[in-house]
Amino acid sequence: MGRVKDAARKPAAGSGKPEKYFIFSLSCTVNGAGLERAVPSSRSLLEFIREDLGLKGTKEGCGEGECGACMVLVDGTAVNACLMMAVQVHGRDLVTIEGIKGKDGGLHPLQKTFMAEGAVQCGFCTPGFIIASEALLRRKPKATLEDIKLELTGNLCRCTGYEKVLSAVEKARGK
Amino acid sequence: MPEIIVKPLYLKELWKILPGLPASRRYLAGGTDIVTAANAGAETSQCWIDISALPELGLIKETAGALFIGAGVKISEIEASCAARKWCPALISALPHFASPSLRNMATLGGNAANGSPCADGVCALVAERAFVLLAHNGKKRRLALKDLFLGPKRTALKKDELILAFEIPKRPHAGVYLKLGPRAYFGISKAAVAVAAEISGGIIRRVTVALGSVAPVPLLAVNTSAWLTGRELSPRSAAAAAELVKKEVAPITDARSEAGYRREMCGVLLERALNSL
Repeated sequence: MGRVKDAARKPAAGSGKPEKYFIFSLSCTVNGAGLERAVPSSRSLLEFIREDLGLKGTKEGCGEGECGACMVLVDGTAVNACLMMAVQVHGRDLVTIEGIKGKDGGLHPLQKTFMAEGAVQCGFCTPGFIIASEALLRRKPKATLEDIKLELTGNLCRCTGYEKVLSAVEKARGK
Repeated sequence: MPEIIVKPLYLKELWKILPGLPASRRYLAGGTDIVTAANAGAETSQCWIDISALPELGLIKETAGALFIGAGVKISEIEASCAARKWCPALISALPHFASPSLRNMATLGGNAANGSPCADGVCALVAERAFVLLAHNGKKRRLALKDLFLGPKRTALKKDELILAFEIPKRPHAGVYLKLGPRAYFGISKAAVAVAAEISGGIIRRVTVALGSVAPVPLLAVNTSAWLTGRELSPRSAAAAAELVKKEVAPITDARSEAGYRREMCGVLLERALNSL
C-alpha cells in the first residue's frame, strides 16, 4: 500500500503530546482522473475528500453511517465516506457528487429530475440521495418504487422531502 | 484514529507481520463499527490491520455437507448469493434488516460477530442456522459453535489477534425467517428480534432452532423453546404456546432503545408470527 513514512504533527489541542501518524502514498482515480497523494493513515475518506481534495459536495451529517449525506461511489458501489479511511481507496475508483454528470457533460438526469420535482430544500442531504439513487439505477435501471424506497433507507432528509425525492428518482429511470 | 493501518495481502503475511506491530491493534474489516467508534473517540487502538484484502476471507463456497461464508464477504454479496439463498433462509430473511444498503456494501458477517453485540442481526440469524465459526490464530485453527463465541455484551471468546475466517452452515433443506422490531420498518437497531430455522415435513416440526437478538447479554439460542417445538405439529396453537414459553427464556434489560417488559412481550409476539409464517 504505497511507501510508509513516519511523521508527527502538532500537538492535539490540550494534550501537549505530538500526534504521531504514518503517511501513505495513495493512488486512486477521483471522478475519472488519476490521483497520487500523500495521506496520513489517520485520515477518514470524508476528511480526505473535503479537506485534502477540496470537494465540498460530499457532506458530513452524523459521522456514524446513519444519515447518508457523505455517500460516494467506490468501484461503482455506494458507501458512507465517514466510515471509511482514505487509505482504503488505494487502487480503487472514487466518484463523488462532483463526478456525477450527464452524457453531454452537463447535469445528470437525476440532478435534472431532482430540480424539476422540487426534491431539494436545504440541499444538505441531496448529494447523498443522488449518489444512492445513481448506484441503484446503474444496477437496476427499471427499479420499482419499492426498490427505490428500500435503497434510500440509509439517506435521511430533515426537510421531509421524501415524496418528491421518490418521484424524482422514478422520473430519472431510463434516462 | 489509528497512527498506522497495515494491509496484509495473504493470511501467511498477516501472521508474519503481527509480532512487529504495535501491541495496541485491532482488525479492520468493513469499518462500520470500528470507524464509528473511532469517530466518537471510543476506539483508540494505535494500529488497525485491514483484513479486507485477505483472499482466505473473501469467498462463499460449498462442500457436500456445508456452506462456508467467508468472514470478509460483504453483506450485499451474501444477499446476491444463490447458495446462501438456498441454504440459509433465516439469514437471507435477516439481511434486508441489516443496517442500510450502503452499509451492507461495506459490512461483513465477521465484523458483525467479532463486535459481540447482542443485537447483531446477521449473527442472530446465523445462530438459528446452527452455524459454526472457524477461527485462526498464527496458523492454528479452531472451530466453535457460533453461539459459544459470545460471552457477554461486546465480549467474545476471541483471543488476542485471533481472526474469524468463515462461518460454516450445515446444508439441510429447511425453512427460515427473521422478524425484527425496531424503531422503524428498516434501518434501526432492534428492540427485539427472532430468527427461526425449521425442518418441517408432513406438518410436523422435525427440528427447529429459535434464536433471539437484543433480549439477553448475548445472541440467545432459545434451547427450551426449540426443544419444546421439536416433534410438534406446526399450528397456530403450538405457535401460541411456544410464544408463552420463549418469554420465560429471554433476559431483556431496559435501556435507551426499549423496556425490559415490552421486549419480553414482543419476543412472544415475534416468535408466534414467525412460526405462523413458515
